[in-house]
Amino acid sequence: MSDAATTNERPLADTTSSAARRIWPSAGQWLLGLGLVMLAALVLLTLLAPLIAPYDPSATSPNSLEGSSAQHWLGTDAIGRDVLSRILVGGRTTLFVTFTAVAFALLAGLVLGLVSGYVGGWVDEAIMRVLDVVFAFPVFLLAIAVVAALGPTVPNLILTIAIVYTPAMSRVVRAPVLSVKKWDHVEAARSIGMSELRIVIRHVLPMVVSPIVVATSLTLAQTIFTVTALSFLGLGPPPPDPNWGGMLADARQFMELAPLTVVGPAVAIVFATLTFIILANGLREVLDVGSSR
Amino acid sequence: MRRVIFVRSMWMGAILLGVSFVAFMLMRALPGDFVLAAAGAQMLQPDVLDAMRRDLGLNRPLIEQYISWLGAALQGDFGTSFVTRQPVLQELWPRFLVTLELTFIAAIIALIMGVGTGIASARLRGAADWIVRLYNGFILAVPNFVVGTLIVLLVGLYFPELAVLGYVPFRENPIGNVIGLILPALALALAISVTISENTRAAVLEVSNQDFVMVARAKGLRPRTILWNYLMRNALTPIITVTGLQVATLLGGSILVETIFAIPGMGQYLFDSITSRDYPVIQAIVLVAAACVVLVNTLADIAYAHADARVEA
Amino acid sequence: MTADGPILSVRDLTARIVTRKQTVEAVKGITFDIKRGEAVGFIGESGCGKSVTARAIMRLAPEGMRVDLGGSVNFCGQDLLAVSETDMRNIRGRRIAMVFQDPMTSLNPVITVGAQIEDMLRRHTGLSGPAARERAIELLDQVGIPFPARRIDDYPHQFSGGMRQRALIAIAISCDPDLLIADEPTTALDVTVQAQILRLLLRLREERGMSLMLITHDFGVVAGMVERVNVMYGGRIVETAGIDEIFRAPSHEYTRALLDAVPRLHREGAEP
Repeated sequence: MSDAATTNERPLADTTSSAARRIWPSAGQWLLGLGLVMLAALVLLTLLAPLIAPYDPSATSPNSLEGSSAQHWLGTDAIGRDVLSRILVGGRTTLFVTFTAVAFALLAGLVLGLVSGYVGGWVDEAIMRVLDVVFAFPVFLLAIAVVAALGPTVPNLILTIAIVYTPAMSRVVRAPVLSVKKWDHVEAARSIGMSELRIVIRHVLPMVVSPIVVATSLTLAQTIFTVTALSFLGLGPPPPDPNWGGMLADARQFMELAPLTVVGPAVAIVFATLTFIILANGLREVLDVGSSR
Repeated sequence: MRRVIFVRSMWMGAILLGVSFVAFMLMRALPGDFVLAAAGAQMLQPDVLDAMRRDLGLNRPLIEQYISWLGAALQGDFGTSFVTRQPVLQELWPRFLVTLELTFIAAIIALIMGVGTGIASARLRGAADWIVRLYNGFILAVPNFVVGTLIVLLVGLYFPELAVLGYVPFRENPIGNVIGLILPALALALAISVTISENTRAAVLEVSNQDFVMVARAKGLRPRTILWNYLMRNALTPIITVTGLQVATLLGGSILVETIFAIPGMGQYLFDSITSRDYPVIQAIVLVAAACVVLVNTLADIAYAHADARVEA
Repeated sequence: MTADGPILSVRDLTARIVTRKQTVEAVKGITFDIKRGEAVGFIGESGCGKSVTARAIMRLAPEGMRVDLGGSVNFCGQDLLAVSETDMRNIRGRRIAMVFQDPMTSLNPVITVGAQIEDMLRRHTGLSGPAARERAIELLDQVGIPFPARRIDDYPHQFSGGMRQRALIAIAISCDPDLLIADEPTTALDVTVQAQILRLLLRLREERGMSLMLITHDFGVVAGMVERVNVMYGGRIVETAGIDEIFRAPSHEYTRALLDAVPRLHREGAEP
């Protein structure tokens, strides 16, 4: 005799957590929000720098190596210049070079990645091989070599950095292009006679947007490092312009006497880099770009 | 497998050729500058300069110059330093060793820190995971030269008796040598340790989800056994290969760190050469550095392919 | 535990899988016994909760997944749901062992097959060194692996699928467990190899008087292997019967549907 088993039915406890979660912003959204706020602060402060800086950044004074005071919130450097003003104005050049260079790298990367990925074949091979040579160079070494050879002017800096980061950008663009190419509805679109350009715009580009946005943010963080490091070595924008890296290098001589001359630019550099890192992480979570979770 | 090694090696050679070519061209881009740099501080008559040009072979086509330079370089002859008038190789070799030691110590520190935090993050989860990730995110935002400068500042302010700058040669004092390199190596290692940490975490998590780990647990094995024999032995290969890929960053960073901590390595030498426009030295260093990076990258690639093949089979 | 009482007594077992997005009741209160030396089949389609039941008994939640268990799992006098993790580790492998579905991924690729048997022996028995190696070779021989003394130093990728499953069975029985849980042990194997593996399990069971919990979706697999069958559907046991009765007169319509799904060489009676 077989029995159909009877079981005790247990009422399912209703889980309310998922409903609550929908109103409260997720971790990714917190990060993104924070990053955007920091970015806004950064941009605002540097844009308004000439207006809000209390002193002329190049103005020397007899009050050298002073600590924080009412007149000089972050003290003065070895030749009496106001640290705060120099940080504010220095940010302009640093960020200008950073944004411009990355913009160029992004553009070049987009074009090369799209062409390379979409056209494929030997064009793809050729482009990728050339970029690999650039990629094989330690980023920093290459930047140093180029700037050393061509001279440390702002345009050279921008050009060098753009060249150095183009390969990475191209790769980020190329990957989704390669996979989209194989999609069925791209085939379908082509078969109904849609022009290649339209296919690229309507199908390929949207897939590229998310990863490239994250990659751009990360590259911005890396570029800040490269720009400030180069100026630390004296290969950055030339003397009259204050810049964070240069300030840090200059401060080394007397830093025990006036720690703020080091801490000031250090905090500025960290803040700027952190902004883009947080932004990148927030974007990555929110846009759900291949997370390692 | 052998085919992979062959292809990669060929590729490596090609890249090195390309790199050396670019480096060479950069230096010779302004030939006028080149001979003036060779002349150094002396003000020379135009005909003397011309003679120098001929001696340096600057009248020959660029390609010829490149090939003869490359040929000599492959035999170890990198020319003569404009500054010291000594063979470049002689000047470069001891400095290269110093940078090698510094980079090696930095890699070890980075591995210990990175793998440790990565394992903690992957296995402990919850709070530990978040703390590690926050810590990593923050460290990443502080460039190595900022860390280095801050370290020197802190030591100078709070431990003034400690000599943090300078270098003690190994022959004189092996222990002092290593200890003196720890702080600079730490400055170099921090950024790398973050990448290693993230990769370790990802690798450990991925291996944890494999069936054979579940089987190991069903066998009732102790957690430590599972961690080392089952998890880490499978996760370490990708971790090591990724670390290899960080060599490029380490070499680049060594320029900054050596300058800050007054360590006579290849990085500082490069910087000095740039300032003094000692072109033969610059060319040599760029080539050597690129060669190291490409070599390690290629080895890492091969190791990865080897590990993959075994698992795929 | 009395001499002829059940060694495994499951009462009202529930398993709830909790993720951030939702909660799933994979097992909704099941009750069954397994006697000493008895073989019981658990049949159902994918998702019916049979694998979750097996893992619940072993308290093996997949990495990073939270599984809440309710009810009781009485094994030889202990409620497995109440013991500490340390005690559970002593039970796993030693008293209750498990064989999994996919032999291709169930072995650690970077250590030898022999080492994977020996670490088991080292853990649960006193054996180590040459003695453990001897025993491992014996075990490989018992599961029908030719030239065991040579193959013990091979890596998993040098074994075929069927041989890997044999090795995994060797690992499972190495410490003489009271109960062997086999979760779809033949599903990933070729048909010819399937029969061999099942025969192997049958022989080992008879030799050792081991209880067997055989989980599968295929009625063809349990025929000739088990004495009783529990049919599962939607996290519950919908029918339980002796193996002959199930084939002759299934009472639940789901069981009938499952039986009808088994291809037969000849039919008794008219087409449905």
